[in-house]
Amino acid sequence: MTAPKNDYVFKAGYLPGLREEDVRWHKLRLGAPDAPIWVEVPELTDVQLDALTQRIKQASRTHLKTMSVADIIGVLAKATARLLDAQDPYRQTLDTLLPKVTGFDPDMVRLNLTSYLQTFRHLELERFVTEDFANPRVLDAFVPRITGGWTQAYGPELLVHVWAGNVPALPMWSFVAGLLVKAGSIGKVASAEPLFASVYARLLADIEPRWADCFAVLWWPNDAPTQRTAYQSAQVVLAYGGNAALQAVQDQIPVTTRFLPHGHKISLGVVSAQALTVFHAAHVAMQAALDVVRFDQQGCYSPHMFYVQSGGSVSPYEFAQQLAHALASLQHKMPRRALSLEEASQISRWRDAHRFIALDNPNYHVLGDSTQTHAVVFSQDATNLMPSPLNRCIVVSAVDHVSQVATLIESARHDLQTVGLAVAPEELLSISEQLGLAGVTRICALGQMTSPAPGWHHDGRFSLLDLVRMVDVEASTEREADRFKPYAL
Amino acid sequence: MTAIASEILDLIAQPCVSDDDFNAMALKVFAHQFTHNVPFQRYCQQRGKTPRLVKTWQDIPAVPINAFKDLTLSCEPPDRCERVFMTSGTTRGDIKGRHYHPNLAVYDASMLSHFSQRVMPGRSKITLGVLFPTEQQLPNSSLAHYLALAKTHFGDTQSDYFFNTEGLRVQALCHALEQAQQRQEPFALLGASYSFVHLIDALEAQERRFTLPTGSFLLDTGGFKGQSREIPMADFYQALSTTFGVPRQSCLNMYGMTELSTQFYDAGNQILPSIKRGAHWIRSRVVDPLTGQAVTPGQRGILAHTDLANYNSVVTILTEDVGLEVEDGFVLLGRAQGAQAKGCSLAVDAFLKAAQR
Repeated sequence: MTAPKNDYVFKAGYLPGLREEDVRWHKLRLGAPDAPIWVEVPELTDVQLDALTQRIKQASRTHLKTMSVADIIGVLAKATARLLDAQDPYRQTLDTLLPKVTGFDPDMVRLNLTSYLQTFRHLELERFVTEDFANPRVLDAFVPRITGGWTQAYGPELLVHVWAGNVPALPMWSFVAGLLVKAGSIGKVASAEPLFASVYARLLADIEPRWADCFAVLWWPNDAPTQRTAYQSAQVVLAYGGNAALQAVQDQIPVTTRFLPHGHKISLGVVSAQALTVFHAAHVAMQAALDVVRFDQQGCYSPHMFYVQSGGSVSPYEFAQQLAHALASLQHKMPRRALSLEEASQISRWRDAHRFIALDNPNYHVLGDSTQTHAVVFSQDATNLMPSPLNRCIVVSAVDHVSQVATLIESARHDLQTVGLAVAPEELLSISEQLGLAGVTRICALGQMTSPAPGWHHDGRFSLLDLVRMVDVEASTEREADRFKPYAL
Repeated sequence: MTAIASEILDLIAQPCVSDDDFNAMALKVFAHQFTHNVPFQRYCQQRGKTPRLVKTWQDIPAVPINAFKDLTLSCEPPDRCERVFMTSGTTRGDIKGRHYHPNLAVYDASMLSHFSQRVMPGRSKITLGVLFPTEQQLPNSSLAHYLALAKTHFGDTQSDYFFNTEGLRVQALCHALEQAQQRQEPFALLGASYSFVHLIDALEAQERRFTLPTGSFLLDTGGFKGQSREIPMADFYQALSTTFGVPRQSCLNMYGMTELSTQFYDAGNQILPSIKRGAHWIRSRVVDPLTGQAVTPGQRGILAHTDLANYNSVVTILTEDVGLEVEDGFVLLGRAQGAQAKGCSLAVDAFLKAAQR
């Protein structure tokens, strides 16, 4: 695949049964202001969408619902293997275009994509399914229940995804989850990253031609009335985005349709004094910096703040300095993407606001100068969780004890997600328990915040169980059936 | 009158200023503020910018306008200042920025001299209608003072306020406009942009239109600030022109800020966005908000203004307005709004809203 020229236009989307020339294409200008790239996304009419919906339902009934989960995993694992192969043309398309479209550093995108894809290999997919279904065969057939009777899990006929564009390749989670429960899917790509889902759909159809009509990838503007057509025929709608956008989607969904919203989240890190020995501190600071740098904090799992316990041989202030140092050194390896004027202005206002506080408060410091591509604010006083303007801006707050953190983050209860921890084994479960009570749904090691484990409970929910409908054949049916056996004595 | 204020007054009275003289005066004002304004001194030290190190006016630290909310930026002790102008508080509603003026001599000289040059060239008086409360009603509004100055110094005896505690005095204004039409005497209508929107709506409801005599002009300022419906600029000026029968080149816009002591004007709004021009004692730069360095010509950036008339507060301010430098001024391209959150990480604005629930 050749490198795109300046006037290169990528046609996004995946539309089984529709001819390119019959579709209206909406042109999006993406990428850095000085290196724009054009991406065309398909905008369907009601009639086209309706026909597409019928086609997907029909095909998934014929080809997906009849496949075993084991076979589906086989296809998905093949797709992952293709994408993990640096020579594969699909992977090369992603490696070339994702950085251009998102503005993120190419190496950062490439490394993170590889690490992300590893959560979708054969073993991990098996684990993904087992996480929600102790007996994965329940997705294929009625299986006996221990308490009597039989149960089968049915995926929706049609699952509609509304994806966000903050982190490249994000749609893969729900795309894969939908296929694992044998749902026909319509995915609406985000204007900011319409690429990955389009490429992934084409790859799947390439590997398993019987799936060619089982899903579609398209786009509609936020206020388009067309989307109602999609929501009306879906059994489940899964959406990522801000609360206002999610509310707008929910307002259009029939009450009988299951709605699974994933709103904006805020995440943070906690470092115990136990981790702040002279020996460990630099490593911990580097792990913290990596969590900040990866995707420039655009992910729901990206940290906004670090709470650092006093009393270790490295003080919280020294830790903040080490973090700033690590962020500066990572700039060479994974440079921050070019910011829009609005983003730059927001960061500058955030930094100034903290500088004003620092003028009157000797316990408050803004580290580094304006020429740097990161900003670390340090507060010696324990402060409540504050959101960051993202793009490598972070507050480090000292705490006397890690048990204080739960109280400091409580006000953000509805928005909490991940906490990256660097604590001793003895502290692990007690702090986790407090964080869980405060509203946190995921706890991981510092340095792993942007790589959720396979089968994680995204926002505390089940990836697959939330999608299915359990059908029970109760024991009484079986008992009664016995009465009608033709060979009865 | 302090020595520095007298020097600024002299400079304003001159017809123009050389680059060197502007630079020398800006550095002098900077040194004065560094010495007499402790929060500003600490702010400069935090950035490693002291009068010993700063050699050009472009290098003087630009103070973000938010600092007028958080810090007391005054060389004179605030209780000895005759007047304090406060911001309307559109962004952080609860906290108002404060701009202290020991007395208004410099502010008034700046306003009068520039208004005369840009708005009233070739004439000294006109019948002036003001669509804004009086200075007595809003003693902390720089705009109320500005409009009072305009009316006192450039308005003839028939000039009046068409705004009272109940709002716009539409009937009285219509009467005044009709009289101006009959007598064929030019009329100038000045006020907040949102007042003009309300006025246009009110006149439209009554199906009233005017054809003001040649030489009439309208001057709006301040944008809509959520006080009226938001209209695209082209529609706004078209509606002004149609309603009052004044060509769009006579629909002027003043760009001013509570944090400044000098205003900018365009020469009408026939072509949008219009070019805003300052006086010889104010200079503007378009900067990268992160580094404070000037952007490459032709690039958008944030506006920073060095206003010598700001002798008591801070000589250089960093606005939140997006601008583009053009040959003899700049064009305004709106406010640098909070960046739209792209994905699932919570944005600051959304968080603040969430925290209030």
